[in-house]
Amino acid sequence: MSKITIPLGPQHPALKEPENFMLVLEGEQITGATVNLGYNHRGMEKAAEERTYMQDLYLIERVCGICSHSHTTCYITNVEELAKAETPKRALAIRTLFGELERVHSHLLWLGVAGYEMGFETLFMYTWRDREQVLDCLEMLSGNRVHYSINTLGGVRRDITAEQKAGVLKRIKYLEERTKYYISLATEETTLLARTQNVGKLPYDVAIERGAVGPTARASGIARDVRKDDPYLIYGELDFKLITHNTCDVFGRLVVRALELMESYKMIEQILNNLPEGPIAVKVPWRIPAGEAVNHYEAPRGEDIHYLKANNTDKPERLKVRAPTLANLQSVAYMMEGGWLADVPLVIAAIDPCMSCTDRAVVWNPKKGKKEIYGWEELRKMGIEHYKRRGVDFTKL
Amino acid sequence: MSDFENEEKIKASIEAKFQGAVSNALVQRRNRVWLDCATEKLPELLGWMKTEGFVYLATITGFDEGENLGACYHMTNARVIVTVRVKTPRANPSIPSVLKIFPGAVSYERELEDMFGIKIAGLPAGRRYPLPEDFPTDQYPLRKDWKFVPPAEETEAK
Repeated sequence: MSKITIPLGPQHPALKEPENFMLVLEGEQITGATVNLGYNHRGMEKAAEERTYMQDLYLIERVCGICSHSHTTCYITNVEELAKAETPKRALAIRTLFGELERVHSHLLWLGVAGYEMGFETLFMYTWRDREQVLDCLEMLSGNRVHYSINTLGGVRRDITAEQKAGVLKRIKYLEERTKYYISLATEETTLLARTQNVGKLPYDVAIERGAVGPTARASGIARDVRKDDPYLIYGELDFKLITHNTCDVFGRLVVRALELMESYKMIEQILNNLPEGPIAVKVPWRIPAGEAVNHYEAPRGEDIHYLKANNTDKPERLKVRAPTLANLQSVAYMMEGGWLADVPLVIAAIDPCMSCTDRAVVWNPKKGKKEIYGWEELRKMGIEHYKRRGVDFTKL
Repeated sequence: MSDFENEEKIKASIEAKFQGAVSNALVQRRNRVWLDCATEKLPELLGWMKTEGFVYLATITGFDEGENLGACYHMTNARVIVTVRVKTPRANPSIPSVLKIFPGAVSYERELEDMFGIKIAGLPAGRRYPLPEDFPTDQYPLRKDWKFVPPAEETEAK
């Protein structure tokens, strides 16, 4: 049979974000795959050099729409290390709490996406409904659902009250029950097993060779987790298990994430019940002494690594960000080879890729020569009027 | 004796193995080791470190110091991060490729070429990353002398 090369992406219904895979096919079987990236490069590292450390905090938060806390925490650890700031224990505990809430939110989101890619849309509806609980927790604590902006130089911006603590614990209890159901679903439901077992194989030695990180690596039996290997924040004092699985396939990645959810709930309860007393932030000077620091952080998708070089001014000399997806994409190419075309979306989704996502309703009006920013209500009104003019009027129904 | 026995041991073993090629080695704190390496010895050093358990090349950070360009290779065994710095003259910047040892480093090396204009000796030709195909090939955005000039504002077609 002759070989055919087909491009998948950068715009494709099965992909949520712009990336491109060149797939070499023999019939429906994939014999070769290459990954092409760069469709979403926003020049953030250059932009960071022109902003102050405080402004960069908000820039770095926007590296990712889901791991926003992961990136700022990794960045801020570097800044505080160079400034020799003594971040209060309570602030570190609150950062850890947000880190775990973020993991819960990200893993539930992934579970839904995986369900959706399998064609199991009920799972998608269920997990995304439950995910609202953790988003409510984040909103209650920080005022925001996605970009929590809880970190600030030297600590955190908001404290946690007794009512908030009770509210979070109540929601976590509910999620714990739901997750038990998902675990039984993931390990017993026959259609789910049929769809995930032996799909997207990534053996142990290949995972090491290609530098896989996070749940993708752990599902290939690699006991690698920054929270255990090089504990940061207050992870050294928390009691949790490092979850690994040895099936090296999409099923393993599903089980690892589902079990990690349970560990996260455990940690959230531990943090809230033993929250250290004291201040939540210290002052950090605007100018950061010259020096270099490198730190890593276990984001929901895997190891996040930041390098920072300071030069005695209020702006960084160089900031480097490596998100986990870039490390994992090398493994995706391997996972697809030898597999079937129909499995591609699921295999790609299984590493939980994030090419970064951003969406804003800013309209440039050339006649008025200025930007107009539309809120949700205005956009909704505009939409209704747009269709009214075309004869579609729901107000008459 | 230092508090960081394990880190000191890593530093000492690299210094012993690569005498003359390695300088400014420093144990910064727990789990962080920094060192400078002679550019031509880089693949050999990383290859040896890989056999010593540093199986991950986490990423490569390019930098611009004015007279010299260079790159930091962040090597890790998941626990300790050893950052290997190499420098290369701005007039003719070139660093040997480490793809033979770390095949996964291809996007990091292409980034050095695209963003800093450092020639990676031994990197096979391929699609550029991360800049778009139509970006000028003689401009390197992450160099310090490169400034972003916003494009002229588009006017309405008449």
